[in-house]
Amino acid sequence: MLELVDLSKKFKQIYAVKNLNMFIEKGEIIGLLGPNGAGKSTAISMLTSLVEPTDGDVRFHNKSILKKPAPLRAVIGMVPQEIALYDDLTAQENLQFFGRIYRLKGAVLKKKIDEILELIGLTDRRKDVVKTFSGGMKRRLNIGVALLHDPEVIVMDEPTVGIDPQSRSYILETVKRLNAERQMTVLYTSHYMEEVEFLCDRIYIMDKGDLIASGTKEEIKRILSAEKTISIKADRFNDTFIDLLEQNPTINRVVAEEKEVTIITAKETNLFSDLIKMAEDTGIELNSVDVKTPTLEDVFLHLTGRALRD
Amino acid sequence: MIGQIIKKQLLLLWRNPMQLVLLAGLPIILIAILGTALSGMMEGGSPNINMKIGFINHGDEEKQIDQFIADMEEELPSETVESIRPAVEQWKPAAMLKDVFDNEELKEMTQFNEAQPAERDKILADDSYTAVIEIPENFTYETLENRILDKTNEPALNVSLNNGHQIGSSIVNDILHQFQEQLTLGEFLANEGIDQTVLQLDEGLVPGDKTSISQKNPVSAKDYYAVGMAVMNVLFIASTIGSIAFLERQIHVFDRVILANVSRWIYFIGTFISASIISALHLLIVYGFAWAVYGVSWPNLAAFFTVTLAFAIAVGGIAVLLTAISYRFNSEVIINFFSGIIVTLMAVLGGSFFPIGDSSPFIRMLGNLTPNGAGMSSYLKIIRGDGIVEISSHLLFLAVFALVAIIIAALSFPKRGASI
Repeated sequence: MLELVDLSKKFKQIYAVKNLNMFIEKGEIIGLLGPNGAGKSTAISMLTSLVEPTDGDVRFHNKSILKKPAPLRAVIGMVPQEIALYDDLTAQENLQFFGRIYRLKGAVLKKKIDEILELIGLTDRRKDVVKTFSGGMKRRLNIGVALLHDPEVIVMDEPTVGIDPQSRSYILETVKRLNAERQMTVLYTSHYMEEVEFLCDRIYIMDKGDLIASGTKEEIKRILSAEKTISIKADRFNDTFIDLLEQNPTINRVVAEEKEVTIITAKETNLFSDLIKMAEDTGIELNSVDVKTPTLEDVFLHLTGRALRD
Repeated sequence: MIGQIIKKQLLLLWRNPMQLVLLAGLPIILIAILGTALSGMMEGGSPNINMKIGFINHGDEEKQIDQFIADMEEELPSETVESIRPAVEQWKPAAMLKDVFDNEELKEMTQFNEAQPAERDKILADDSYTAVIEIPENFTYETLENRILDKTNEPALNVSLNNGHQIGSSIVNDILHQFQEQLTLGEFLANEGIDQTVLQLDEGLVPGDKTSISQKNPVSAKDYYAVGMAVMNVLFIASTIGSIAFLERQIHVFDRVILANVSRWIYFIGTFISASIISALHLLIVYGFAWAVYGVSWPNLAAFFTVTLAFAIAVGGIAVLLTAISYRFNSEVIINFFSGIIVTLMAVLGGSFFPIGDSSPFIRMLGNLTPNGAGMSSYLKIIRGDGIVEISSHLLFLAVFALVAIIIAALSFPKRGASI
């Protein structure tokens, strides 16, 4: 249905996106994963025809949309990362304005606004100005605006940034419902692994403008089939302990945080007694050592040596 | 679609009372402060006002009086002639007018220069003169004929005012009217005073703008600053609309408009029209308030609305230009620079703070090459009594300015959305 072919975007001498290849089939929920600055937003701006690529093509139903984007634009809904709403207008006025921009009017527009407000749970706040809304409510309205013209494809750029867990859960459930009930195709970008794991059928992982992995969740996790992730927790760690871990030849990756150190090592390696000894030698009092089931976060760590939220 | 964009802009401004107060309230407050301050200064005879008055008498007043008495003696009985001789001999309007301007009270602000008729062309070409008053060759004789013999030919003074010296020419205007009233109301001319048509403007002699004092609407300090503040503050509408448009780009509202398959030109035109409408409303509100509170009135409403429309369109042009440049460079710097620096410069050049016309001709020309300066000159001319013909050059400038701004904006406006 929608295809990105060798898509690149260069700003001055730096590639924001390099040779990106993606495809999206009707009714799928696709996750585009990567840390901040990975090139996700540039990629979806090119996909939605808002930014012209330096190289490559965007194809919709096998036709390039670079020169004639109107057919794609007619069926695409965009939820930008920013709250693309007027703070000084009410929820209803925002929906009316964007509805009229989408050429809806009269009874059709009114009915659509009622339906959207119901879907995003803001019917009783329809006459309140947006600036009085919580972050979660603004995010929901941000999504609602993109649904006004019944798009076939909805592109959501980090739609849950900076909101409370309850609102995030509401948004994720809404996306699931849109996909299940309306067969809406969804492209969902995030740097929250758990969201992508929860929502998506297939996943693309980007880092520094490159596509570094793609496939179903299971396929991607299989990248770690020869490795395992160990989480070590303590009240505090010191540099000597971290140095010892990094110097250990059987450990592939070390990511240290204040109270948790995550290491990736070969599956057959038994590090337990070594870890206890290292902790004793460096004066670290361990709270726990857990071997974890691999997550997408671990995959990213494995592929880039960095945590997603670094 | 354009209507929706205009409606949205109006709603956004309406919902932002602080911005409204700043846009509409500030000029109103400034009119009060500056108008009051300057009118006080003018009443107190400020030495900062410098007027250069040229005075040319083309005739010999004594000879005309002698000639008039001689002619009367031929026509009237000698008793009658003797009875009116003292009054005739005292009737020296040219000398009286000269005394009015060449006296101690006005010395501080007036440079009085009595010139010979041979120097007339040179003086009229000299832009440093605020006004040139000419007494025609037979002025005294004709006024006596008119007054004593009731002949209908009304004599006329020739007064050339240099409207580049806005306040100065207004003061000369006032003095001439006072002089005229004194003559009219004086005992000597109680029954046969010179009416207002005595004073006629000699158009087209002094370089720069001139206004007919026969239409006699002096510009008060309140008038001046009502216009000055209105034309300055309306420029902030352009930066306000530009800022809203730039925010729309930043938060991807513009992307949503583009993705809705709406032409970027619809958005562009909507921005231009809404800026023009809001500017016109702003001007009408400020002038409406100035009329209600300070009595600033417009003798020619058609001309007033024409200037308001042309000026509002020019501001709309600036608004789209700022929008396009900020979109092109993905930066609000140009908008902030405009509202912080350029508006002030334009206000000074355009004459919003002090009469730029009293400065050098070069600065005056620069002032009139700003939209606010052209708007201000037009409004002041209308207050003085001019019509559309007299302000047509300013209207043309405003139209050309708007057109150029729109063309540059259109060329700069980006093809797609997305600010990454």
